[in-house]
Amino acid sequence: MSLHRNLLVLLAIIPLTAIAESPPTDGVATDTKPRVKGLNPDVSANFLGLIQHGTGFSNNRTAPPYNGLSIQESEIQFTSDVDPYLRASALFAFGQESGTTEFTAGMEEIYFETIALPSITFRAGKFKLSLGKHNQLHAHGFPFIDAPLTHRALLGDEGLNETAISAAALLPFSWYSEIILQGYSPSNETLFLGAAPDVGSRNSGDFGGLVRLKNLFDLNDDLTLEIGASGTRGQNQFGFRSQVYGGDLTFKWRPSEGGKYHALVFSSEYLNGRRPGSKDSAGDETEKLGGVATWVQYQFSQRWWIQWRNERFGLPRSPAIAAQNKQSGLIGFFPSEFSGFRFQYDYLKTLGAAGSDHTFALQYNVSIGAHPAHTY
Amino acid sequence: MKTKFWFLFAMSAIVPASDAFAKLNVIATVTDLRAIVAEVGGEFVSVESIAKGTQDPHYIEAKPSFMLKLNRADLVVAIGLDLEIGWLPSVVRGARNPRINPGQPGFLEVGPLVNPVDVLTGKVTRAEGDVHPFGNPHVTLDPLRAGEIAVKIAERLGQLDPGHASDYAKNAHTLKSRLEAQTKIWKTRIDQSGVKKVVSYHKTLTYFFQRFQIENPAILEPKPGIPPTSGHILEVIQLIRTQRIPLILVENYFDPTVTKKVRDELPAVRSQTVAVAVDGAPGVVKIDDLYEHLVKAIEGK
Repeated sequence: MSLHRNLLVLLAIIPLTAIAESPPTDGVATDTKPRVKGLNPDVSANFLGLIQHGTGFSNNRTAPPYNGLSIQESEIQFTSDVDPYLRASALFAFGQESGTTEFTAGMEEIYFETIALPSITFRAGKFKLSLGKHNQLHAHGFPFIDAPLTHRALLGDEGLNETAISAAALLPFSWYSEIILQGYSPSNETLFLGAAPDVGSRNSGDFGGLVRLKNLFDLNDDLTLEIGASGTRGQNQFGFRSQVYGGDLTFKWRPSEGGKYHALVFSSEYLNGRRPGSKDSAGDETEKLGGVATWVQYQFSQRWWIQWRNERFGLPRSPAIAAQNKQSGLIGFFPSEFSGFRFQYDYLKTLGAAGSDHTFALQYNVSIGAHPAHTY
Repeated sequence: MKTKFWFLFAMSAIVPASDAFAKLNVIATVTDLRAIVAEVGGEFVSVESIAKGTQDPHYIEAKPSFMLKLNRADLVVAIGLDLEIGWLPSVVRGARNPRINPGQPGFLEVGPLVNPVDVLTGKVTRAEGDVHPFGNPHVTLDPLRAGEIAVKIAERLGQLDPGHASDYAKNAHTLKSRLEAQTKIWKTRIDQSGVKKVVSYHKTLTYFFQRFQIENPAILEPKPGIPPTSGHILEVIQLIRTQRIPLILVENYFDPTVTKKVRDELPAVRSQTVAVAVDGAPGVVKIDDLYEHLVKAIEGK
C-alpha cells in the first residue's frame, strides 16, 4: 500500500516539475518562464544516504540504524504563496520503517502561515515545534549526522512535530526579540505516550502548550549571540502532564572580510523533561530525563568544515538514568550549496556499563530543485 | 522605585520612532543600491545596506537583525535576478512587514528593469555551476545602467512619497547625467590604457567590461561558484599567454592567492584585487568612486 501511495505522490509531482523546468520555445529570453514558474510551487527534493559501522548497531537490515549502506531519509517539499494573505508548505518524507525493509511516505510537515500581518505570523498545520533550536531542524539541516542524545530520548527520532497552531511575534525592542506561542495536539509517542503507545487515552481533546522566547544580539558586524528559552506541557497517556523546558545559546562568527572562507559556530542546548505516570527504573512515578549538547563548527576553507560535539545525557544526575557521555568529531566537504559529504566518528560511554561504543559514518546529502533560502 | 527603574529600562529598549516618521526608511540589499538611493532620496530618505562592500552578495547570512531592519522599512531595494535568493526570502518572511512583501510597492527589484545580459535560454542545469537563469545580476557595475536604476528608484520613492516625487526625479536625473558624462571620460582613459582584455575571478565585472569594450576571455572559476582548480588555472595561463592578456582583476571577496601560480608563470601579467561594490575599498564611498576605482585598476594607477 505504501509503495502505491509513494508512486501516486511521485506521479503527482512530475507534471509540476516538468512545467516549472520547461525551457522557452524560442531562443530569445522572454518573461514566459518566470510567469509559469510563479504559478507553481517551488519544488525541491533532498536525500540523505549513510555508510556506517557502529559497535552499538546491528547488521539487521530491518532495524535502522544498522551497519552498512542505508538511505537515512528523503524529502520532497513544495512551497508557495497561496494568495496575498497566506503562504503554504508541504514536506513529505520517505523513510524506512522499523521491522521492514520497505520505505513509507509520511507527512513530515504541512502548514500555512500568514504573510500580510504586521509583526506577527500565525501558522496552522503540522510542523516541528519551536522547542529549542535543534528540534526545528530537518535531518538534512542537522549540524551532525544524528540528533543529540537528549533530544532523541525525550522527543524521539522525529522530534516534537505535532498538529498545531502557532503565533510568532516580534517584540518592539532595539534587538531581535521574538516570542512564539504554540498550541498542539500531543501525539508524540516518546513524550506523551510512553513505552506502550497502545495503552491509555488518546483523547483528541487533550491539548499541549509551548512558549519560546528568542533573543539575538549583533555583538559586532561579524559576531552574533542568540539566547533562547522554551518550555512545553501536554497531557500524556496517563492523564498527567508531560513537560520539557530548555535553553539554548549560540555564538556565530563570520567575518565581513574573508567570510567566504572562514566561520565559527559555538552552540549549546539543554533540555530537561519529565513524564509523570511513566515509572523510571528506580520506581519513581515520574520519569525525569535531561541533558546537554555542545558543539563547535569551524569553516576553514570555502568548502570544508570541521566540527566537534560533546554531549552529556543524564543531567541532573539520577540513579534511574543510565547516564551517557558522547563525543563526536566530523569533517565535511561541500562541493556546492546543493551537495555535501560528511564523515563522523562517535565515542559513546554509558556510565556503569562495561566498554564503550564507537561509530564511523559517512553521509551524503544531495538536494535538487528550487534554491533553498537558508535560515540563520 | 524598583518598578520605575524597570519601566524606564523597558521604554529605553523600545525603538525610538520619531525620525522614522520624517523620512522614508529604505533598506538596500547591497551597498551600490544604498549609494544610489542615498543620492536619489537625499534628505527625505534614510537608507542602510544589508551586505557590506567586502561581502559576496550571493552568500549573505539571513541574520534576524536584518529581519528587524526590514520590519521597520518602507521600501526594500534589491537587485533580483536570483542574486539574493539564498537569503533575502528568509529575511523578508522573518520581517513580518506586509508593506515590503514581493509584489507590494515597498519591494523593488531593479535588475530585471535594466535589460540584464547572459539570460539563459534552453535547458538550465546546475551542472553549469551556480547559474543565474534570469541574467547576470551584477548590473550596478555598469555606470549607465546605474543611472537607469536611479530613475527607477526615484519613480518608486515618488510613488511612496508623492510629496517629494519631483525631488527624487530631479536627483535621479542629476546622477544619471553625471554618470553619462563621466562614462565618456572613463572610456577615453581606458582606451588610452591599451588594456583590451582582462581575466577576472567571477563574472562580476561583465557589465563594466561590456560598457568599456573590454574582453573577458577567461574566468578563474571553472564554473560559477566553483573554486579554481589547478587544471583550470593551467588552461587560463595558456590562454593568457596566447591572447597576451595583460591584467587579472580579482574581486575583493575572493581569495587573491589563486593568482600566485599565474604570476609565478607569467610575471609580466599584472594582478590586482579590486572592490566591486561601494565600501569595498577605502575611498569608495559613492557609486562614482567605484567606477573610478576600477578605471584606475585598469590604468595601473
